[in-house]
Amino acid sequence: MKQAEVARSWRPSRRSLLTTGLGLSLASWAGQRSALADLAISRENKDKPHDILVTIFLRGGADGLNSVVPYMEDAYYRGRPNLSIAPPKDPRANTSAKLLDLNGFFGFHPALAPLLPIYREGQLAILHACGSHDTTRSHFEAMAAVERGLAAQGPGPASGWIARHLATTERTDDSPLRAVAFGGTLPDSLRGATNTVALESITDFELQAPKEKLQHYQDALSALYKPGKDEVFHAGQETLAVLDSLRKIDPAQYKPSQGAQYPDTDLGRGMRQTACLIRANLGLEVAALDRGGWDTHYAQGSTVGILSLSLDDLAKSVAAFHRDLGVEMSRVTVVVMTEFGRRVAENSGLGTDHGRASFMFLLGGGTHGGQVYTKWPGIEPHQLDETGDLKVTTDYRDVLAEVLSHRMRNDKTSEVFVNYSPQPMGLVTALK
Amino acid sequence: MKVSRRDLISIGAIGGVAMAAGGCARIANRFAEHHTEPALPDHGVDETSRLVNRLSFGPRPGDLAEISKIGKTAYVEAMLKSDGKEDARLQFLLNRLEVFQMDAYDSQDIPIPEVLRQLQAAAILRATYGRHQLHERMVDFWTNHFNIYGRKGLTANRKANDESNVVRKHALDTFPNMLVASAHSPAMLMYLDNQGNVAGKPNENYAREIMELHTMGVHSGYTQKDVQEVARCFTGWALEKRFLRHRWAFRFDPDLHDTGSKRVLGHTIPAGGDESDGLMVLNILSEHPATAHFISKKLCHYFLGDDGEKWIGRTEETYQKTKGDIPSMIRPILLSKELIDSPPILKRPFDFLVSALRALDADTDGGTAIQEHLFKMGEPLYQWPMPDGYPTRTSAWTGSMLPRWNYAYELAAGKIGGTGIDWNRLQDGMNSEKMFELTHSRRPSRMDGELMSQIDKEFSAGKDGHVGAGFLCLASPSFQWR
Repeated sequence: MKQAEVARSWRPSRRSLLTTGLGLSLASWAGQRSALADLAISRENKDKPHDILVTIFLRGGADGLNSVVPYMEDAYYRGRPNLSIAPPKDPRANTSAKLLDLNGFFGFHPALAPLLPIYREGQLAILHACGSHDTTRSHFEAMAAVERGLAAQGPGPASGWIARHLATTERTDDSPLRAVAFGGTLPDSLRGATNTVALESITDFELQAPKEKLQHYQDALSALYKPGKDEVFHAGQETLAVLDSLRKIDPAQYKPSQGAQYPDTDLGRGMRQTACLIRANLGLEVAALDRGGWDTHYAQGSTVGILSLSLDDLAKSVAAFHRDLGVEMSRVTVVVMTEFGRRVAENSGLGTDHGRASFMFLLGGGTHGGQVYTKWPGIEPHQLDETGDLKVTTDYRDVLAEVLSHRMRNDKTSEVFVNYSPQPMGLVTALK
Repeated sequence: MKVSRRDLISIGAIGGVAMAAGGCARIANRFAEHHTEPALPDHGVDETSRLVNRLSFGPRPGDLAEISKIGKTAYVEAMLKSDGKEDARLQFLLNRLEVFQMDAYDSQDIPIPEVLRQLQAAAILRATYGRHQLHERMVDFWTNHFNIYGRKGLTANRKANDESNVVRKHALDTFPNMLVASAHSPAMLMYLDNQGNVAGKPNENYAREIMELHTMGVHSGYTQKDVQEVARCFTGWALEKRFLRHRWAFRFDPDLHDTGSKRVLGHTIPAGGDESDGLMVLNILSEHPATAHFISKKLCHYFLGDDGEKWIGRTEETYQKTKGDIPSMIRPILLSKELIDSPPILKRPFDFLVSALRALDADTDGGTAIQEHLFKMGEPLYQWPMPDGYPTRTSAWTGSMLPRWNYAYELAAGKIGGTGIDWNRLQDGMNSEKMFELTHSRRPSRMDGELMSQIDKEFSAGKDGHVGAGFLCLASPSFQWR
């Protein structure tokens, strides 16, 4: 097959992959192993391009009030005598121990410094006082609500919102690797999705048999996993198709661009591999990453402590990704979210208990950044909910629905977020 | 740091969720295509094989013949009682794990990865070699029900004690006894931050999880106010820190306790109480109908999969009649028709790993090399960070088929350090049929035609045919279910 034909049929038909293993078109395409740059432009030939969506879920309930801090609120300092961080202009505090001003009202936790330039150049939008309607303050209920794309846990589709996005935009020639999750299990947001795999690491995603036996065993597995229809058969078929796809790229050799340095953490490695998959143009549409450790009942700390370490990892990983992809960020949207925020008042263990509203980040070439989007409810006692928590004034679905419709070309967001009419927020530019 | 990968993993919803309705029907239908239940053998389910696969971590060679001889009822009764005697080889291997011979306080100099290595080794060894297989299954169930994350602070050092005095001790006892033991477990108190729960500044973590995950279940009638009141009741439930005392053991510290009156789920807990406040809460929770329901539901689903729904009502009644006697609750489930004819349940990685060892009578030290496989498959023991335990739903695990295949290959090819199959011992007259029957504990049926033809090919290819055949049997779709 000549180069031009490769470009036209860059996306292997999923059906051919599943039924015959390595399809002919993919076999030729595989010859382009080292020419990823050539492949990277071919997508537009076939259909209108959309973004690649990267979600980072902060599991455990990330404290919005100490991440994007409302430092003009006196109640913040009263409620958190030990955990609060000095305002940006505090002459007594040194730079690493005070907030980084965002807009004269909110300030970044100093550990988020790597994101400040991206905010200033307008590719990072910050949302505050957002969340779901879940009031149980249960991690599992709140996460399930958000991952199922519901107001709160209860009746509604059992599948995840990303899964429904993929289903409503499904095509017959989709890549076998439409979505990846990094980790051993699939998150609920991808529950019910096809063409999705959970990966530990793309570099060791390989059958550990001797080289000379590899093809033989893979053919045998293909035969075993061909006939059935249950979830295991399906998962096996998907896995075999991904094995084929990943063999075409060489992730171990991946070199980040522009000197981007990812932290050597799970999130850092996950973002690096996501960048590699995006560059390889395997037809990836969504990458779901998670970062745990936000349930800071104890030893949360102010500028030193568990929260600070977590924010540092988050900021460095996202900033490295942004730098690495460079101009390619024009086709990527990153969403950072959590299941709920934390109580305004600190507890006895230098920590905070489960609360309600928290923050979100939106980042990418199509993002109208450089602003904090919020209908700020205030945190004086009379402005809080009955438990003493920041009220939710922005529904998380408004943000996600706009990303899906404007950046992912999904014209059926009402099937993704059922029984909900999202409010337009003007967060991103709509693709033409 | 590899470990924190666990933190990445998502947490499943608890309990059932309604399927799509209305405008979502189109999508729901599409998902339904992929949710076909796994097929059962054409010649029907073999009763003994199914029984052993559900009650134990899978049959070892010879188990089925022995159990057929004594009969189903006698087997179930024997499994429900544990005489405490262990296999000598198992005892020998366990004796080498020092964390079980030491106090948590004395073991604090052992690095956490080493403590976790020993804890996991013990679990793998007991599940593989333990005589009381139902007891081992229940340990798996309760370890997840009362999940403790071994990477938080020094909880790992305290987990050995929790394993002996809570989970193993009460796995087949009564639920209220187990709950009281867990509430006094230093590992649990530390994991759910109760050491920071003090008068005037309550920490709600334990209070919330004990109601949501340990007893009543979410949406069962308790309120945020109840959570706050329960937290007050457990103030002062702490660890012994004083010099020359039994350090790190449970201690009720009256100085940290909130002695005011509290109101929990409609009950008044009078002012002036001490440890009795928390004990009253445990009693209220144990006797609450929501607890009977929640525990019954989880047990029914653990043994019967989705067909468990039919047994929840009866199991709940037994809970109430017997005050949460676990053997009385599960006996009828184990003897039920549904246990035999319900659709297969996906093996979680720990099930899968141990059932392969048992099927091929492998020798293992339960050590680092095999633990690495468990990690890659997504279920390193004692390393699920959230308090709900590893998920049971199928879709949580189908994203990681490759690590299962790699384990299957390395086990069959003898590439896992400290673990091996003695093919000479098994190989006497080994052929495709025998390999299939060892791994699948039944005779091949028509639906197994593809697997049989693949392993035939392996055996006819050369003298190492058992490696390829064993690999394909363990990696096959049908071996993933029990």
